[in-house]
Amino acid sequence: MIQIHNLTFTYGPDPSPVLKDLNLCIDKGEHVAIIGPNGCGKTTLIRHFNALLRPSSGEVLIDHLSTRDPRNLLEIRRRVGMIFQNPTNQIVGMSVEEDVAFGPGNLGLPADEIRHRVDEALSKVGLSGFQTRSPHTLSGGQKQLLALAGLLAMAPQYIVMDEPTSSLDPVTNENVLALLQELKCQGLGIVQITHNMDEAALADRVLVMNHGEIITDGKPADILSRVDWIKSLGLAPPRITELLWLLHHNGEDVRTNIIGLEGALEEIMRLLIQLRNPNQLGVPGKADGHV
Amino acid sequence: MYNFGQYIPQKSPVHDLDPRVKIIAVLALSLIILQVGIIGLLEVVTVVLLGARWARIPVLALLKTLRPVLPFFGCLFLLYIFFTPGRPLPLFPIGPVQISYEGLYMGLQQVGKFLLLVASASIFTLTTTPSEITMGLERLLRPLRIVGVSSHDVAMMISLALRFLPTLVDEIKSIREAQLARGANLNAHTLTSKVRTIIYLAGPLSTNILRRCDEIVDAMEARGYQQGSRTYLRELALTRVDGLIIMVLVIAVLFPLVGIP
Repeated sequence: MIQIHNLTFTYGPDPSPVLKDLNLCIDKGEHVAIIGPNGCGKTTLIRHFNALLRPSSGEVLIDHLSTRDPRNLLEIRRRVGMIFQNPTNQIVGMSVEEDVAFGPGNLGLPADEIRHRVDEALSKVGLSGFQTRSPHTLSGGQKQLLALAGLLAMAPQYIVMDEPTSSLDPVTNENVLALLQELKCQGLGIVQITHNMDEAALADRVLVMNHGEIITDGKPADILSRVDWIKSLGLAPPRITELLWLLHHNGEDVRTNIIGLEGALEEIMRLLIQLRNPNQLGVPGKADGHV
Repeated sequence: MYNFGQYIPQKSPVHDLDPRVKIIAVLALSLIILQVGIIGLLEVVTVVLLGARWARIPVLALLKTLRPVLPFFGCLFLLYIFFTPGRPLPLFPIGPVQISYEGLYMGLQQVGKFLLLVASASIFTLTTTPSEITMGLERLLRPLRIVGVSSHDVAMMISLALRFLPTLVDEIKSIREAQLARGANLNAHTLTSKVRTIIYLAGPLSTNILRRCDEIVDAMEARGYQQGSRTYLRELALTRVDGLIIMVLVIAVLFPLVGIP
């Protein structure tokens, strides 16, 4: 469990805090999406999860280990894997396998265990056979998969990601999301910053941040369907939700708390059937004339 | 495998040697080269050629690695033949310039020595990947921990530097392109404009690289990097052949190949 108590954070001498008195609890096996406009403190918040930053006041506990205690550092970083926005700048090794071996090597594991973990992690992300390739010859998507493999090789409990899919092509993006879903099913906690509301819709829980505070915390369907409110924050709601919302505003009888394609399809089909039926019952001749 | 450096990926007994053995061999050979005279050098040439053959490196490829250093050694050779006092050679009376017999001898010997040093180092880099070199150095430097130097940190520094090379090239390319896109003239011909393009490159390059460093440091910390002890994907183990080669090398250094200085 990631527990945050009264977390306040200030960068250096800057008087105004970036994070203001946050309280938060994220369970193992939970998929949380954090959304919010640029500069709202999302990145600063998740950097507290693996002790890259330490609170100015308050406390961050990872499975009851405080990030303030330097003795907990290695264990916290093993438990909480982090993926950054730019895939190129998180590669350390001279070859793909050496890069994946970096984390386990930091944990001091023996060579044969490292080999086992490296091969397993690479096959999980679909990069088997790339072992001896030089990382800079990989595409952006493959680099992000490599970063994910490097993190899986440490057997983490939580995966924290800062806009991991912003530089991926649609197919790789799908693959990464499917892999995350699979990891979630295996009981890993996933925390993800995203600007893509369709991705946020896949989470179990959405946190909305603004000006260093968590202003809303709830189910994606409840939050993302508040179209005008989401827009007022400078964010874009899922297109399909916006469409239903516009239909609703034009007087059609549709629900607007729908964030996925399937739900929307169902709702639109229902609407169509409703429109057809009165026509057939009421004035059949006119309907025939149109068809 | 690696797209930078000189490494030629192929199978050979030399490729399969433990990198530590190869490092020790290059060091031993260097010591021998610096000790021996012209006849000893001929013997070393044989050893180097045998080494190249054993490593399945064509002699031509080996000679090619000497090309970048040739201008430098050429100048060195000229300095030796013109500025060494001694008996003048009768065959070269080019005006007032005299070439001494000793000068020619010294020049040939010294330049020969340097070329052999480069050639033996080339056999090493042609048959060893950068990561193997790093690994070998790390193991050889382990005893330094007594004086407070961590071989792990040294190895990390080397491998990060090597990892950064292609990044640096990409970065230069993208800055160049950005400048070209805004109408910069990079095909300068005069010296001052050449210097200016370098200055225009150096500024953005260093800020970009520093920013990248910041991010890499974060990524390394996030993956649990701490200074000092760590483990690796591959552990090195000396075979009997490796041990034998090291023994022969040590003996060869202690008792110079030939008695003639």
